[in-house]
Amino acid sequence: MARYLLYRLLDAIPTVFLVLSFVFVAMRILPGDPALAALGPQTDPAQLALFRERMGLNDPLWLQYLKFLWDAVRFDFGVSFLSNQPVSSLIARNLPHTIYLTLTSVVIGLALGIPFGVYAATRRNRPADSALRLYSLLGYAIPDFYLAAILLIVFALNLGWFPILGAGTGFWDGLHHIILPALTLALLKSAFLGRLTRTSVLEVLGRDYVRTARAKGAREGRVIYRHALRNALLPLSTGIGISILATLSGSVAVELVFNRPGIGRLLIDAISERDYPVIQAGVLMFAFFVIFVNLAMEVVYVLIDPRIRMAS
Amino acid sequence: MITRRTLLGTATAATGTMLFAPRLRAQGQDVLRFASSAGGPRAFDPNMTTQGSDNWAMIQCFEYLVEPPDGDFGKTPDAFEPALATEWTTSDDSRTWVFTLRDGVQFHHGYGEMTGEDVARSFMRAKLDGVSTSSYANIAQAEATGKYEVTVTLTDPDPLFLASTVFSRRVLVISAKAEAERGEAFATEAVGTGPYKLDRYDPEEGMFLSRHEDYWGEPGHIANMEFLYIQDTTARTLALLSGEVDMIEGVRAPGWIPQMQSQMPDLIFDLTVPGSFNTLFFNLTKDPLQNLQVRQAIAHGINKQQIVDALQPLAKMVYTLNPPDYPTGFTEEELPEDLRYEHDPDKAKALLADAGFPNGLTIPVNTSKREDYSTQHLIIQEQLRAIDVNIELNIMDHSAYHASNRENANTLNINSWSLPPVPLFVYSNYAASSANMTPDGTGGANYSHYGVEMEGVDDLLAQMLQATDFDGYVEVGREVELKIQRDLPMLGLPTMSYVVARNPRLDLGYEVTGGDAYWRFNHATFVS
Repeated sequence: MARYLLYRLLDAIPTVFLVLSFVFVAMRILPGDPALAALGPQTDPAQLALFRERMGLNDPLWLQYLKFLWDAVRFDFGVSFLSNQPVSSLIARNLPHTIYLTLTSVVIGLALGIPFGVYAATRRNRPADSALRLYSLLGYAIPDFYLAAILLIVFALNLGWFPILGAGTGFWDGLHHIILPALTLALLKSAFLGRLTRTSVLEVLGRDYVRTARAKGAREGRVIYRHALRNALLPLSTGIGISILATLSGSVAVELVFNRPGIGRLLIDAISERDYPVIQAGVLMFAFFVIFVNLAMEVVYVLIDPRIRMAS
Repeated sequence: MITRRTLLGTATAATGTMLFAPRLRAQGQDVLRFASSAGGPRAFDPNMTTQGSDNWAMIQCFEYLVEPPDGDFGKTPDAFEPALATEWTTSDDSRTWVFTLRDGVQFHHGYGEMTGEDVARSFMRAKLDGVSTSSYANIAQAEATGKYEVTVTLTDPDPLFLASTVFSRRVLVISAKAEAERGEAFATEAVGTGPYKLDRYDPEEGMFLSRHEDYWGEPGHIANMEFLYIQDTTARTLALLSGEVDMIEGVRAPGWIPQMQSQMPDLIFDLTVPGSFNTLFFNLTKDPLQNLQVRQAIAHGINKQQIVDALQPLAKMVYTLNPPDYPTGFTEEELPEDLRYEHDPDKAKALLADAGFPNGLTIPVNTSKREDYSTQHLIIQEQLRAIDVNIELNIMDHSAYHASNRENANTLNINSWSLPPVPLFVYSNYAASSANMTPDGTGGANYSHYGVEMEGVDDLLAQMLQATDFDGYVEVGREVELKIQRDLPMLGLPTMSYVVARNPRLDLGYEVTGGDAYWRFNHATFVS
């Protein structure tokens, strides 16, 4: 198992290298002058030139690229063009918020989506099943930023149950602040997971071992959750992995609408202002997260399915 | 031992408590919360701020030597009142300015009493360091000529020195001792003398201030201020409507104010007039804009009144480069009829035909996706369609737009800039050949290449620079204004007010009528 994980980690190195190279090239191709964006269009030309020199923007591109790769290997991302703060400290302050939001959303999404899916599967073509299908359809169709705005208007503005701004301070305040953003992402994820669970469970409900369990007189709950759901977990775990990654990308818009600190909000600002060091580090963090989630999912496969364990 | 029932009960109770927690609408009376539209603060040092939003916190903490009454610019030399300086004199040639300082002014955080050394340092660092050094190039020397006296010597006369330099944010007075002690950290921990002091600078959340208890003047009425950064317009608007913040930076787009009023009819909108100059630059290096008749046709094709109407109440009419209430601005009546460029599509078509374009022409134009830019370009695109001028608009993000302007890639670019009533500053930046924009990025904001591609106003600007009295200065300035109008390298579009929406429970203590796009809150109070 350890060897398997090590191989998978080694496999990730070219991916990280490609991501780093891609983000470097993409930023340089995009029109826009970081000096102008950071200092403003009315800044003295001399100050703009000084800024470019100080930030190494006058160096040949190949030299900038090599410096960037060398710094990235050492996890030194330099300072933000905009705030002059070390990028590592900006990431360190924002990343926990994004992880917290993502995990909370996934947990709520799973807690809602899986029971929905099982319930619908066991009531195929009945009103509950139709309701889930409609819910899934809406979940696929509604953009996260739109749902975020609706929840804000209803629950924060009109009912006044939740705060509108920020991430709060302390555990309880933080929990109070995260409910709406997490719910926004979770509702959308639960629609996807509910649909996936329904399909997976339906597929195994017709299998021989389920029929056997019923024939042996097992209670329906045990048949569903012990025999059917457990065997439906493999395709579901793939869906959960995809869902976590989609939640992470969805957090960008949600952080912006709820004005929560996080990597997404940091990146949006950095991209619009051509803050190369922050963009590079932020994208790298996302890449690491994707690699980590994929790796975790592969471990889960191995744990769930003995056939994969044997093969690996 | 925690049983399942206990766990579920506790969770239900906690959820219930949260759901029925008191509403957050009514904030306390001791914190004023302001939300700007940027992503986060970048700097607090007045000599280093490059993001307009940061000026809101900064202006509460730093002071000028002299300043006009709250809520406006000083448009003439006698419009200024004492602030950190109690009195001032100038030499006959307007080159030497002596300021007597207020004694007993204390810096924040125990940095002691303000002296002439602090003020001299504040002027010199604006000239030598920071992001606008060229604006302070005329300062030859600033030195403390006494504990409570500073003398500023200028290279060229400047009868408008108070407006052009003293009332500008780069020379807001800082503690020289704190600057030396704090080094690079001073950029986010600068120390001033204002009615509020900085307690916390958070790159994610914003800036947090509290009342400066040793303030020399009337202390701030509200104990604390929070300057938050909410980039998303929906979130910012909801924060205001819910009462979580008291003021927000508005959106300069058609319909935003009426839409807000429909949500909250008693909402107050503070508007600066004129706000931003919007100037349409004809790039004289691009075909066929070298042709005066083409430029005149475009000017006659643009219906400024329609722009004003579309952007009510933000937009105000201008007839020349400077707005009518600025020292060298013209009213419609003052302007010769042939230089008014009234909206006249037939005349525009005739001019185009004379210029060799009887069937009209197509001009590719880059614009920014920022509302104030794209709105104007879209309106102009529609108006010029009526004279068979097809504007091919390429809408790009704001950074890319300014980069394209700097690379000489644009043809009819609009530049929006909140400019003070200091005409020479405007002309030097927009019309002087020394400000000619160069594609390598080393030039200035003269996007037309006026004075390079055609004879410009350099001679007149040199005369203005040597004027020793205000009247003489204005007289030459108005000649500059007329020449620009005649040569038409650029066209003044309606100005656009900077707008802040305010909860009616907050009384500013004065009316905002003009001035910079940031103002003080030390007179503000919460009313029932």
